[in-house]
Amino acid sequence: MSQNKNCSFKPKHEKVMHILAEETGGKSYKAHKYGLDHSDRPSIDYGDNEIVWKRKAETTQHKTYVDLSKRAKQLASRDDQILSYFLDGSRRVFKVDDIAYTESGGRSVIYPVIAGQIGVGCCQRVDRRIEHTKFKRELVLSLPDVANADGKPGFWPAMAKKLSECDELKRLGIEFSTILEYKTMKIGNDKVIYEDRATACVQDRMIEREKELVAELVREGRLNQDNYLIKDGSLEYRPGKEDKADKKKYSIFKNNYRWVLGASKNFNPEVCKVLGDKSNPGFIADLPLFHRTPVAEYENDMLSDIKFAVWYIRLRDKKQTRTPFDGVIKVEKILVTEEENRDGIDSENVDTLSAYLINERNPVCYGTDLRWANHIYPVFLTESYVKSRYLSTESFLHLF
Amino acid sequence: MNKLIGRVLATEKSPTTMDEFNFWTNSDQRLHAFDIVKVMHLDSSFTFGVIENISHITDAQSFLTNFISSDFGDVEIEEPTLRVGMNYAKAKVSFNTKNLYTPVHNNAKVFLASADEISMALGLDRIQNPLVCGALKMYEGTEEEVNLPVYLNSKFILGPEGAHLNISGISGLASKTSYAMFLMKAIQDNYLNTEQDDSVAFVIFNVKGRDLMAIDRPNDFATDGHGEKEQTHSYYTSLGLTTRPFQNVKYYIPYTSNNSPKQSTYLPKNDIEEYIRNNQLKKFKYIYSDDKENIEMMFSDIDDPAQTMESIISKIIDNDDRDFRDLKTWNDFMEKVSEKAQKGSTGDKGDISVLSWRKFSRVVRKAIQDDMFANAFTPQNSECRLADELKQIGKNEIRVIDIAKLPEDKQAFVFGDAVRTIYNLKLGEYDSEPKVKPPSRIVIFIDELNKYASKEIPKTSPILRQILDITERGRSLGVVLFAAEQFRSAIHPRVTGNCATHAYGRTNSIETSSGDYRSLPTTYQNMLTRLEQGDYLIQNPVFRTLLKIRFPKPIYKQFK
Repeated sequence: MSQNKNCSFKPKHEKVMHILAEETGGKSYKAHKYGLDHSDRPSIDYGDNEIVWKRKAETTQHKTYVDLSKRAKQLASRDDQILSYFLDGSRRVFKVDDIAYTESGGRSVIYPVIAGQIGVGCCQRVDRRIEHTKFKRELVLSLPDVANADGKPGFWPAMAKKLSECDELKRLGIEFSTILEYKTMKIGNDKVIYEDRATACVQDRMIEREKELVAELVREGRLNQDNYLIKDGSLEYRPGKEDKADKKKYSIFKNNYRWVLGASKNFNPEVCKVLGDKSNPGFIADLPLFHRTPVAEYENDMLSDIKFAVWYIRLRDKKQTRTPFDGVIKVEKILVTEEENRDGIDSENVDTLSAYLINERNPVCYGTDLRWANHIYPVFLTESYVKSRYLSTESFLHLF
Repeated sequence: MNKLIGRVLATEKSPTTMDEFNFWTNSDQRLHAFDIVKVMHLDSSFTFGVIENISHITDAQSFLTNFISSDFGDVEIEEPTLRVGMNYAKAKVSFNTKNLYTPVHNNAKVFLASADEISMALGLDRIQNPLVCGALKMYEGTEEEVNLPVYLNSKFILGPEGAHLNISGISGLASKTSYAMFLMKAIQDNYLNTEQDDSVAFVIFNVKGRDLMAIDRPNDFATDGHGEKEQTHSYYTSLGLTTRPFQNVKYYIPYTSNNSPKQSTYLPKNDIEEYIRNNQLKKFKYIYSDDKENIEMMFSDIDDPAQTMESIISKIIDNDDRDFRDLKTWNDFMEKVSEKAQKGSTGDKGDISVLSWRKFSRVVRKAIQDDMFANAFTPQNSECRLADELKQIGKNEIRVIDIAKLPEDKQAFVFGDAVRTIYNLKLGEYDSEPKVKPPSRIVIFIDELNKYASKEIPKTSPILRQILDITERGRSLGVVLFAAEQFRSAIHPRVTGNCATHAYGRTNSIETSSGDYRSLPTTYQNMLTRLEQGDYLIQNPVFRTLLKIRFPKPIYKQFK
């Protein structure tokens, strides 16, 4: 009997939440644990309202769609390939507990504790086969800023270290790399959803890791004109404070993206103001098969002075997809060189890259992923690879 | 160092069990059914598995996915990225080095095995009284290819532990006769080269052309390609066998008079004469007074529900029967039978009807219309009675009986007589006669067993009875049956059931869908339909699993 008692007491001290509550002076509520992620389904991204479309960003001023079917066919018959690397980052976010902190006036406020798994992976295509090249995984926590009572800068790293030393994590050979702090202050009259703020912190962390990985690939000299990197999703990377502070660093940051294309499955067709200044989603909806739109340029205050070139390509016939936006991908490229910034990207280059992307329409992940019409298979594989490396939800949640 | 080729898969739907597991390999990894793999297991032990099936899968969820991946049906489309695919193999557990048969674990390492490990896994390393029965090839077509001789325990094929061999397969493609001859060559080599308490002799029936009528002459490989002879010889040497053809062979052909235009053998006259000069060949005859007991063999294929034929035969061989006791020749006998079958004959006090006598007369008259049914034989002319010769069979001797050119009823008669003689010889019935010194084991080889022991043969058939006696009691008596047939499913289940060793050669899918093959996994059943010439699946109680083996080309003279 006495042995049993010992057993039932011991694990309590080892649970992550217990240590967190103890160290931050909060009270853990042992709330229901659940995932905050949306499942992968086709959707229209209605955000990005603040992006301002500017002038056309290519050397040839196309007025309408550009037909690439011939070029795609021509390239398919050749046995070469310039889209060599594929990168995808993903995260899984869970609300793992509620924790209460006493604030002014002695009232206690409950905040969610968010935990996330971040995975960033890169695969390379060699002889038509996909091989993994790099992978980074980390486990992070996001807690409210009030949990750091003293507001000292070294508090969170010390806390992460402490957690990683607990027996249970040690035994499993895992550790939390960092604890991200989410802001609790109110802005205006909007209702604050802490979960979203915490998720945003995890998302930012993931983007940082993606940037690091791209930088690594560049450093290793893997990317060049014959070896482009296709990144899943938008390239809207904000240069960090550090990047901006140093001019040299900033140019390196931009240079890292010289051979990188962003290919997004979801986009906001509303932002497309190609004909005049009017929003014209129909312009993309009517994009014929194997055609691309002219390249547009946009800037964004949030993105500093970085200029992006954006265009759309239709990979699949409208007849065979459910909505007119299925089968269209949005391609982004950062304007890096001075010439590009001045005159736009070389249209010839855009056509070639687009034609290569059109050839990526096969094979498809039909049946496995609902977004098959917009997916590029190597990216899908990279995504599957990254996801396969996650800790299972059960094991992860059991840590708390 | 073993080559790591994959990892074990264990999922909810396909768990590993005590007797099987799945593992993945690279799609390009060459493996074959029956290859052995080695898996790391508990306590630094290794579990060995025999590959039963290999599947290839990709991440495509349905056929539709693939169809869509070709732009909805454009057959010309090439994909810039190959779809992710892998092979997974299903393996049957054959052995664990520490006797641990708990299922192998997920992700356990899977290696190719070395030659020694393969022997151990199949239980070939501990076989007593080894008798080579072929060679197996593993990992064919790879750098790690392994060739191993396969040994049987001779006590499990020649008795007393287990006896009899059944070989099945379609004619021409399975090389049934060649395989039986290879095994007999191995047995003879084994007994000729080593001093053993046991001794063995062979009685072989030649049923096709003159295939087995020159087994003591070397194969000249005249119709084979250059270097075939050397290759075959080195194959024999690698299996520990000599490259000599069979030794101590005697041939027996049915007697026909030299004047008769029709000969009862495919052997040309020159060869007959040469054999006779070498004292290697005799022409056999059947003499009424000595062979009347075998008359029943003529009725092996005739339905006799009322047993009237049997009563007639009993009457004939009854030494006290006043009608038949004094008859000397086949002619006397036929006259007597005709008399009985005459209209108005009283029969045998009404016991046997005239109609029965007539039926008997019809069958016998047809059967004995042959030169070999004679009144007497002259030893000086190399004539003999087959039974007398077989009684005197000595150790390491081979007697080839040519029945190829005889009609079916006479083939049955000769076969039945010979088998009965061997059986009686081993029962000790002739022990008191001079020159009778039977070896401890006598192997009888007959092709086309279906003629004598098929399921359709009447239960009353004396030959079937004789074969059943041999398969059921021969193991302890020392009479061993090596039999071959096209379709195993046609053979009487008590015959196949008593065979310790089974060799399955190439056959067709109708055959493999019959009950006899139900115990084989589907992959093996399908494999049987595409086995190459000279490939066999062997089943023997000493082997832990079925083995796929091959054997070299015949070492004796071939007629093409």
